[in-house]
Parts: sequence; C-alpha cells; structure tokens
Amino acid sequence: MKCPPFSYHRATDVADAVAALEAADDEGKILAGGQSLVPVLALRLARPSVLVDVNRVPGLDCLERRDGVLHAGALVRHLALADQTHHPLAAEAARWIGHTAIRSRGTLGGSLAHADPSAELPAVLRACDGAVHVAGPTGSRRVGADDLFVGALQSAVGENEMITGVELPVPDAWGFAEFARRHGDFAVVAVAAARFGDRVRVAVGGVAGVPHLVDAGDLDHVGDEISDDHVALLAAAAADDVDPASDLHGSAGYRRALTEQMTLRALADLAGRPQPVREPA
Amino acid sequence: MTPDDQHAPASGTSVRRKEDARLLTGRGRFVSDLALPRMRHVAFVRSPVAHGRITGVDVAEALEVDGVSAVFTGEHPAIAPVALRAQSALPGYVETDQPPLARGKVRFAGEAVAAVVAADRYLAEDGAEAVVVDYDPLPATVCAWAEPEHPVHDEAPDNVLLSRTFRAGDADAALAEAHVVVDRELTTNRHSGNPIECRAGVARYEAADRKLTFWSGTQVPYIVRTQLAELLDLPEGNIRVIAPDVGGGFGVKAVLYSEDVALCLMAMAMPGVPLKWVEDRVEHLLAATHARDHRYVLRAGFAADGELLAVVADAWCNAGAYSVYPWTAGIEPLMAGGLLTGPYKLAHYTGTVRGVATNTSPSGPYRGVARPSTVFAMEALMDSGARALGMDPIALRRRNLILPADVPYRMPSRLVDDSGAYEACLDKAVATFDLDRWRAEQTRRRVEGGRPLGIGVGVYNELTGLGRAASAGPRMAFRTGHDACTVRINPDGAVTVFSGVTSQGQGLETTMAQVVADALGVDYDDVEVRYGDTDESLWGFGAFSSRQAVISGGAAHLAGEHVRGQVLALAAALKEAPVEELDLRGGQIHMAGQEKPIISLAEVARVAYLQSDRLPDGFEPGLEGTRFYDPIRGAFAAGAQIAALEVDPATGEIGILDWVCVEDAGRIVHPVIVDGQIAGSIAQGIGGAMYEHLVYDDAGNLSTGTLLDYLMPTAGEIPELRIGHVSTPAANPTGVRGVGEGGTLAPNAVVAGAVADALGVEVDDLPVTPARVWELVQR
Amino acid sequence: MKITLTVNGERHRVDVEPRRTLSDALREDLGLTGTHVGCEHGVCGACTVLVDGLPARACLMFAVQADDAEVATVEGLAADDGTLHPLQEAFSRCHGLQCGACTPGMLMTAAHLLETDPDPGRERIRAEMAGNICRCTGYVGIVDAVEDAARRSRSEAAS
Repeated sequence: MKCPPFSYHRATDVADAVAALEAADDEGKILAGGQSLVPVLALRLARPSVLVDVNRVPGLDCLERRDGVLHAGALVRHLALADQTHHPLAAEAARWIGHTAIRSRGTLGGSLAHADPSAELPAVLRACDGAVHVAGPTGSRRVGADDLFVGALQSAVGENEMITGVELPVPDAWGFAEFARRHGDFAVVAVAAARFGDRVRVAVGGVAGVPHLVDAGDLDHVGDEISDDHVALLAAAAADDVDPASDLHGSAGYRRALTEQMTLRALADLAGRPQPVREPA
Repeated sequence: MTPDDQHAPASGTSVRRKEDARLLTGRGRFVSDLALPRMRHVAFVRSPVAHGRITGVDVAEALEVDGVSAVFTGEHPAIAPVALRAQSALPGYVETDQPPLARGKVRFAGEAVAAVVAADRYLAEDGAEAVVVDYDPLPATVCAWAEPEHPVHDEAPDNVLLSRTFRAGDADAALAEAHVVVDRELTTNRHSGNPIECRAGVARYEAADRKLTFWSGTQVPYIVRTQLAELLDLPEGNIRVIAPDVGGGFGVKAVLYSEDVALCLMAMAMPGVPLKWVEDRVEHLLAATHARDHRYVLRAGFAADGELLAVVADAWCNAGAYSVYPWTAGIEPLMAGGLLTGPYKLAHYTGTVRGVATNTSPSGPYRGVARPSTVFAMEALMDSGARALGMDPIALRRRNLILPADVPYRMPSRLVDDSGAYEACLDKAVATFDLDRWRAEQTRRRVEGGRPLGIGVGVYNELTGLGRAASAGPRMAFRTGHDACTVRINPDGAVTVFSGVTSQGQGLETTMAQVVADALGVDYDDVEVRYGDTDESLWGFGAFSSRQAVISGGAAHLAGEHVRGQVLALAAALKEAPVEELDLRGGQIHMAGQEKPIISLAEVARVAYLQSDRLPDGFEPGLEGTRFYDPIRGAFAAGAQIAALEVDPATGEIGILDWVCVEDAGRIVHPVIVDGQIAGSIAQGIGGAMYEHLVYDDAGNLSTGTLLDYLMPTAGEIPELRIGHVSTPAANPTGVRGVGEGGTLAPNAVVAGAVADALGVEVDDLPVTPARVWELVQR
Repeated sequence: MKITLTVNGERHRVDVEPRRTLSDALREDLGLTGTHVGCEHGVCGACTVLVDGLPARACLMFAVQADDAEVATVEGLAADDGTLHPLQEAFSRCHGLQCGACTPGMLMTAAHLLETDPDPGRERIRAEMAGNICRCTGYVGIVDAVEDAARRSRSEAAS
C-alpha cells in the first residue's frame, strides 16, 4: 500500500497553490490534512501528478464570528473547530470525527472538498446553509452549501480550484445526532439540525450521495417552543423524505429508521430536551 | 525477610515480563524491522478475479520500471515444479495442489499471480502495477452450501474436499423417544485474526553452502522448516527458520503460505540477495486465512426432565480456495464435528461435517478453531430446549454438564474429557455476575419500560495441550504432541534456556523462565530464554491449540529438574555431602536444615566448565540437559461466560452492561498473563460476534477490503471484563491448562443468546449487528 | 527532496521521494523501527507519533510535510539514562501489552492524553484510546495502565 509517484509542491500562498494546480493540467490535487486523500493514494485509487501542499499557506486557519456567521479558514483543523465556542453545532459535529490523531490533521476545507456523504461537516454546512469560498485561476467565488455537493465524493470545486474559507451561519438553536458502528467511525446516519428564527433546517448524512436536506413543510414556523408531537412528526417526515440504498451496514429500511431516530434526537437536542445520545469518541 | 521468602517460587506471581523492556521502548525485533545488506523488496501481483483461467502474463513493462530487478510468475522455472499439497490419510479426503504463484488458473480474488523484486517496496508496487495479466473468467462459487457452477478444483467436482460423520449411539431412535425436539439453522460469519503486524518474511539463500535462512513471523518455525525442506529439496539442517518478535498471530500465522514458499524459491533463484516481503493490510484481508464461515442444521431431543438425549448436526465449513497447508481443509469441519457437543453429556450423536472449497481466501486456523461456531450451535440448542421445556436455561445446562464424577468422560466423538469443572465455572460465573439482580432488572424493565435487557450464557470446553493421542490435524504426515527444552547453566552460573516455544504476545519467554527458575532453583532474573530460532533450540511444534504452556512448559520443567540433578550431584561430590540432603534454591546449594549455603551454583558451574582439575571422577564437564514432554492426551480447560446486554429497539444498538468469565486454567504460572489471554480472547470473540465480517459479493470480490469496512472493536466497544478462576491442576508436570483460546469460544453464544432473551426472538445468523437486531425487532 | 526531520530532539537530514510516508522515513531511513505500521490507511493507529506535540498517523503524512517539524516517537519516551516513562512502567505493570505491535502507538496516544488531561477517568481513557486497535489485550490492561500512570504522575506532582 504505497502511493504511486507524484511530485510535490509546497504552496506559499493561495495564488501559488492555484497556479500549481493549473500547471498540473487537471492532474493536481490539494494536500491539506491528508486524512482522506492519503488512503486513496495508498490504495492507488487516484494518481495525481502533483500534490499541492497548502499546510503552510498563511492565513487559512482563522476562526472568527462576524454578524452571526462563523468565518473559518479552510485549514482549520477539526481539533480547533471542536474547541471553538462561536459555533456550537460545528464544534459538536467536529468532536464526532474520527479520533484525536485524525482531528489533529484533518481540516474543515478538506472535509468539505472531499464531500463524503457520511461525513459530519458536510451535513453541518447544509443544515446551516453555509457557503465556501473557492479560489481559482479567474479569482474567487462563493459556492453555497446547496450547490457544493454534487455526488458521492464529488464537489463543485473545480480541478484548478481550492477552498479557502467557509461561512457557517450560527443557528439560534441546534442539534446533532449520529449513529456509527464504532467510536470514531463514519456515520451510518448523521443528522444536523439548525434553527434560524422560526425555520428549522435538517440535513441527513449517510442516506444519499450528498448530505440530504430534508424537505418537509412542517419545518417552517417552528419557533422557540417545539412540542414532542411536533418533533415526532418532523422526524417521521424526515424518514419519509430520504431514499437511502442498502449496503454492508444495513438495508434501506434500516437507514430510514435511523434517519427518524437521529432526527428525533437532533431535534430534541435542538429543543433543549436531554436525550440518551451516545457520546462521541 | 527470611531466606525462604527471598526464594519464593516465580510461578504463581506476576513477575515483570522479560519481553516488556524492548517492546515498550521501540526496540522490539520484528521481521518487519529487519534490514540486511543487499536486501530487496517483494510485492505480489494479486488476482482481481475470483475464478478464471490465466491466458497471459506480460512482465516486460514491469521489468522496465525503475528499481525492478526481477519478476517471477507461476511458470518461472524456479517456481513451476513446486506445489503445496496438504496431506491427510483421512478416508475420502480429496488432496489438491496449491501453487506458490498461480499456474493456469486463479481460484480466489487476491491469489498471488506474480511477484516483483525491487529496490524498495514502493518500486516493487510500481512494478506490480505494470504486470499485465489476462484472465478468462469462470463462474465463481462463494457460498459453501450452494451448488457450484464450476468446481474450484477438478479433483472435487462437488467442491467437497472432506466429509466425515461422527456417530455415537442411535440418534434417530433417541429423537423418537424425546419429550421435545428442537430444530435450529444457524450461520456464522467469516472473519479472521488480523494481528496488528501482518505476515512478514525475509528469505536469504547462500548458494555456496546451500543454506537458506528464513526470518518469518510464524507461529510454527519447526513445521515451516520441515515443510520447506520437503518443498525446496534441501536437507533440513540447511534451513534455519527464525521467528523473532512476532506482532500477534492468533492462528493466522500457524500456516505455511504459498507466498512464504514463493519468497524462499525466489531467494534460491537470487542467491546472496535477501528478499523481504511485508504484507500490507489489504493483502492480509484478501489473502491471509479466513475462518468461521459455517452453516449448521441442528436437531436436538430432550427428555421431560431436561436430559439431552440426542443431537443430529449437519455442518458446512467454507474451506476457501485451497486446503490450508499443512493442516488441510479438515481443520475446521473436524474440530466442529468432534467438539460440537461441548461440555454436555450425550450418548446419541450424529454429526456430519464437510469442508467445501469455494472461490474465497483459504480458511485456516483461527483462535478457537470452529468452536466459537459450535458453542453458539450447542448453546442455541440449549436455549431452544429450555424454551420448549419451560425450563430455566441455566438449570437445563446444569442438568447436562459433564461433572467431576463423570471424568474421564468419553465424548461422543471419543475425545476424552479430563476436566469436569464446568459446573464450578458456571456456578462461580453466575454468582459473580449476580444473576438474580440482573433477572430482577430485566423484569423491572419489562414492567416499567426501558431498553430490553437480555442475559446470555456460554459454557465451553477448550481442548488444550494436545498430546500424540489427540493430535491436532488427524491423519496428517506428522503428529503434534511433544516439545523440547534445553536448560544450560553458563560458566558464571546464570541460566540460558533454549525453548521450542514461539511467542506472538503470549509472554512465553517469561513463562518458560518462571518454570525453569522454579524447577532448577534459581532466581527468575538469572534465567534467559532463547526461542523462535530453529538453529538454537531443538524442537517445538509451535503455537496452536493452546499447547505451549502445557507442553513446552512441561519440557521446561523436566529439563530444569534434570539439570538441577546434575548440579546437586556435582555439588555433592565437590563438598562430599550426601546428594539427597542437598537443595538448590536462589542459586545457592544448601544442606537440609541449614540456612548457610555450602556452595553456590556459580562455583559449581565454574568447576563444570573452567576447572576440570576439580571435577570429581565420573563427571563430564558442562551442565546442560534436554528433555521432551508429551502429555499424550491433552488438558481440557473448562469455562463459562455470562453477560447482560441491552438493546435499543429503535436503532438496534447493543450495549454490554456486564460480562463475566470464569475459566479453569489449572495451576497458574503468571496470573496477569493468564488474565490477559482471557481478556484478549473474549475481545476477539466479541469482535466476531458483533463487528467483524468478511463479506464477498456474488462474483467473489471481497467487499470488506480495508479496515474502514472490516471493523475490529476498540477500547470504545469492549466493556470492562470481570474474570474469575477455578483452579483444578491438570495431570502434567506444571499442572497448567491451556488458556489462549477459551475466551473466544463463548461470545457468539452469549451475544446471540442475550439478544434473543431481550427481544424474545431467535438469533440464527452472525454477526449480531445493529442492522440485524433492528430487522429482528421489525419481525 | 532533502528535508530536515527532528525526531526526539535529534536533527536528521534525509533525502526522500515525496511519496514516502513519515512512518516509512522513520523506519527505513532513520532506522527508528519503534514506530509500527499496521494498516497504512489511518485506521489502526499503530503508527501514531506526535508531530509538533499533537498525535498524528505517521502513515497519513508524507515525510516532506514533517520538514522542520518536531516529531516524537516511542524511542524518545524513556529518559536518556534508560529510566522508563511512567506510561511505559504502567504498561508493563498492568499488562497493557502482549505482542507489542500496537504498543508504540498506544503509548504516544496516551502520552498526549495525559499531557492534556492529567486526570482522565476510565471512560475518557477508553474514548481517547479508541483510535488505536489492539488485538491482544482486550484493552483491559491498556485502560488500567493509562489510569495507573495518570494516578502515579499526579501523586508525584503533588508530592
């Protein structure tokens, strides 16, 4: 399990990184935390000609809250995201990612660019209707959460582009629940719920090629108080709204049931009611 | 402190392990760590198809890759004449060949087709990628109880490599008389040992004197040497097998693999160039032996009072693509059929077992061999029987256990059980567990609500330390029963032990030192143990069947006693004292009743080696002796596990609330090591029961090819374990019973039984995953 | 590519291919074979080392990325005079190791845990050590050892 050969470019700034990608003629790849990319290389499932290491690009690890939005650099490590207090939902979700040795290296931008449908942060980005800033040869653009995820492990970030920063609106209330086989595993199903004003957004990971944003009319006009019945109704609606496939870890029906359960727990969490939720590793 | 306290026996205390200092400081000596001058690295090209004819292998491009020095295929003249053929004289056994590298045909996805030699592993993998192999695919058979479309081996058109029926009494007649008859159909999940260090080997051949040195992370270096001598046509004395520190084994490394043989053949074709192969995890999951892919169709009859009258069992064991070398495809089915009835008295038994070839990785020995499956089968029958009879499941088990008064008990398979400690283990487990409290909690939850709680139990016998009369691997070309140990007093009086053991974490370096220290009468710290090198120690069959503490321990004890006799005789002659009044303890020779020693072992040794002028008449120089030990039969070890589990019906999640295990390890040499073996084997058992599953799709592709899909439990999943002991010393020199495997035997039964108890369902298929539990809840 | 690796305080100049993992550079180029490789895809944790004080999978980092970084491996745990680290002592005392293959990663993970939390309970120890797979011990001895080392280190600090 040794990576195929590649050349290595240590980027000095974003423009340098983008230029290196351009020079690689669609065969370059950004190397950030490497926690997903390196296994793919070790299995020889990808053969980039050049890895553009952005770990030493200055300024990409900022974390600040402005106008109700967390502005985070792409290089913010999961450990730092878990430790920050500006955006408690993102912090909670980050704590569910892997283990300390993974969180110490893995990055926010990398996780979103990798677009694993079972990963935690893509679900959070959708639940919060966040956006990423993407730098490319023609300058910078902003891509909203609903447009970022194109398919399983496919994002709208182009071959010559890199994510530089993330905007995550801070919800008024939030909840997160995940079911994984073991401590630190990718979710079988993960649910991130965020309330902004009187509207709740629920994103479900693990049930489709992209984190699924639940479309149910009852999610509007929720307000501060949310009854148990309403929570149950919304959870059932979420289960109805997903169309998962069967795989090694369970049937479609099982994932649908987990969607209902995790939505129930996330919404109870959001409503401020304690639930017997398993703690992350 | 009195002198006697200072020389308390090493055995029975948890002395500091001799292995620890190097392993804790990063100074272990693993095969993976070995670097030799001129060494080159090997990567295998592995088949992506499960079954197919090889229509062409093109190595030209690979030979052009930077750093690649050679490419071998199955047709290479150095490889082509050799085949691994696991032999047994069992009637009806179909012998088949396994080539070191595939020839003509591939039989499982992951089979080695070619090997690339290069300057380092990166370049070797680059070369392997450049080898072009063309396949003409054939239909693959994955399931051992499905009709094959195309046989794996022409010699076995129905894919059955071995079939045997165990028969005792008249099971059909007894079933007809039974008060209740229960039926179960069970499957158990394919999984494997997955030691943290994968397989590894370095082979170096010196043509001038035809000597082959093979560093191998093997559990069986002496068997490897014998088999290599045969396969490579070298005198056995010209082969040296070295198994240094080995990073876990669990049976997976008790096999001589086709890759091992290929590596040695390649080294012989490249004299003077050490060739190193370190298996990676993907290769390990694909091509190291798997185990436990079984199906059982069972029927049992009970009398109204609960007496087990008859068992009829039909079992299919998936043997994979090749009969595992040298154990044969019989390894799992024969163990399954022979031990299925476990610790229960039974007169009428018919058990038909089959080893069936499929297009999957070969099955081999894995900790507990077949018995995690058969204990699950037997305990499922007990649970079903208890329900049918309206009896308490633990009472039903008690009704049928082999008791001390029954020992020696001849099992239906004619194995002789010398234990009888099952009820003692079960009683202590039940008491430690506080069954009444958990039953009350179960009832409370049923009445008041809360997650359903279930209690599962497994009682088992672990056949350990098999002697020649019950040898592992029946009717093979060799009979495993004995090990040797040499004890040598050095000129300075310190002791070097040359033991036939190998160790993959079991701490045998420590255990052997304890046994010899006590048998000889010296301090533990003055004993050094050499092992794992066929050029150093005389003989040991290796690590399998929980045999080494019993057998190598017996040899160590006998050799220690023997040399002690030499020392005392020489001391007696030197000091003109009656030998029968002398005692050796703490490295000093004492006269009976005297506190002050008359001479030290160091001085006796000095005379024996360096001062022949002082040697009394009739004494040869030196102090050394070798002894073999064979227990002839074996030492059955009893065990019982009981646990409380809760189930979240909404997600299928299982929570383990309490887990108790009580085993009879006989006399215990090192308490902490023994508990470590039990805890580790329970954890592997829980892994197999709840998490670990090697899954093939219908085309024979492994769907669980990385550790992202093959889930081994972590500290987050394995609960606190409560381990207890009953101790009935076995009839062997040290009184020990083997302890390496027992823990793995019960968790299948315990988890399945507890979930069934919690939900009022029957759990027929393993592993018991959340998804499966959820499906059971939906029924 | 020429890089400088500082491992356990000692600087090494090495010339590596960009694709060489940090674990391979430590083992093959520096001869520091204490760091073990168990899966090469970041799951088993055997290769865990500290990079600038934080645990990292050495199989998921390229050596070139550790250029100028401070790497700590199991070889650096014991004092120069051979005195074992409290965790090494505790692992031996509590039988936190059997074959020793996972042990280096376990020790480095635990070393970081105790540096950040001198008084972790068993649950926290279990959660934090869950990124490292052990096939031998059933984890009982490992959890005991980390707990024991923490307790002894605290009482030493207090005295």
